[in-house]
Amino acid sequence: MLIVPCPNCGPRNAADLRYVGESRPRPDPNSASAKEWRAYLYERANPAGMLRETWYCRSGCRRYFVLERDTVSNEFTNPPTPVAKLGKRP
Amino acid sequence: MLTSTRMECGSVAELPAFESPVSRSFVSFEGASMESRQPGTALTLHDVSATTKIIVRAGPGTAARHQLDAAFGTSRTEKGVLVIGQRPDEWTILGPAAASRALVDGLDRSGHVSVIDHTHSRALFRLTGAEAASVLEKLCSLDWNDHMTPDGAAVSASVAKVTCDIVRNDVDGTRSYLISCDRSYGQYLFDAILDARHEFGIGPLVASVS
Repeated sequence: MLIVPCPNCGPRNAADLRYVGESRPRPDPNSASAKEWRAYLYERANPAGMLRETWYCRSGCRRYFVLERDTVSNEFTNPPTPVAKLGKRP
Repeated sequence: MLTSTRMECGSVAELPAFESPVSRSFVSFEGASMESRQPGTALTLHDVSATTKIIVRAGPGTAARHQLDAAFGTSRTEKGVLVIGQRPDEWTILGPAAASRALVDGLDRSGHVSVIDHTHSRALFRLTGAEAASVLEKLCSLDWNDHMTPDGAAVSASVAKVTCDIVRNDVDGTRSYLISCDRSYGQYLFDAILDARHEFGIGPLVASVS
């Protein structure tokens, strides 16, 4: 079982959350080229190691948040940050 | 009959009769007449869906947040009405219809505030008994010990794979939980809670549908 630390609800079973995916800055749609936009939508780093990712607490606080997870050991290394505080879309 | 037609536009009853999401004919329990084999260990499960349920959403900086005065994850009772801090920007008000509406009418609606009556769209059950936490542990992955969820604690979690809002609201010192879910899952959740107690054999479960 993967225990995900939600910033509002505390540690929760991953089944109570939705994995949104890799967290990455959204390019400006007014200035981004088609190639940049395609990369944002479809290309993923998929590293074997630390990954910054977005989760959605669907059964609890219903908030998006960002955290870092080691994809090999499934350890979370930093405190989760609510997306609302980042000022970016997930 | 419930309808989406606005009341001023059609012939719609102003106060439609409340219909429980739990059907008497489909409830699979032993019946309320069973007597406890072990005094003091009886669990009761009551369908209290007819309780008025009002959800208030209030954004940061609004006066309504301060009036509601229940932090996220906690609850308090005011004039017979339970005010629950269910989510960071969302409160649930449970109680008698008149008292609940009086509380809501007194809220300052300025700013980003919305009030919606969910009485007919949510099922609400009360699970009471010393072993109520053991039943919940069979259905939900949260820690139901006193240090994590004391009396008054409010959480949202998956119960029997149904997203539920749960409030610990002890009755006369006996552990008790109010469990709320979408109305359409009401019958399933009611039966799932009844089924969960069979794992323990801790005494009969007295269920009632009101």
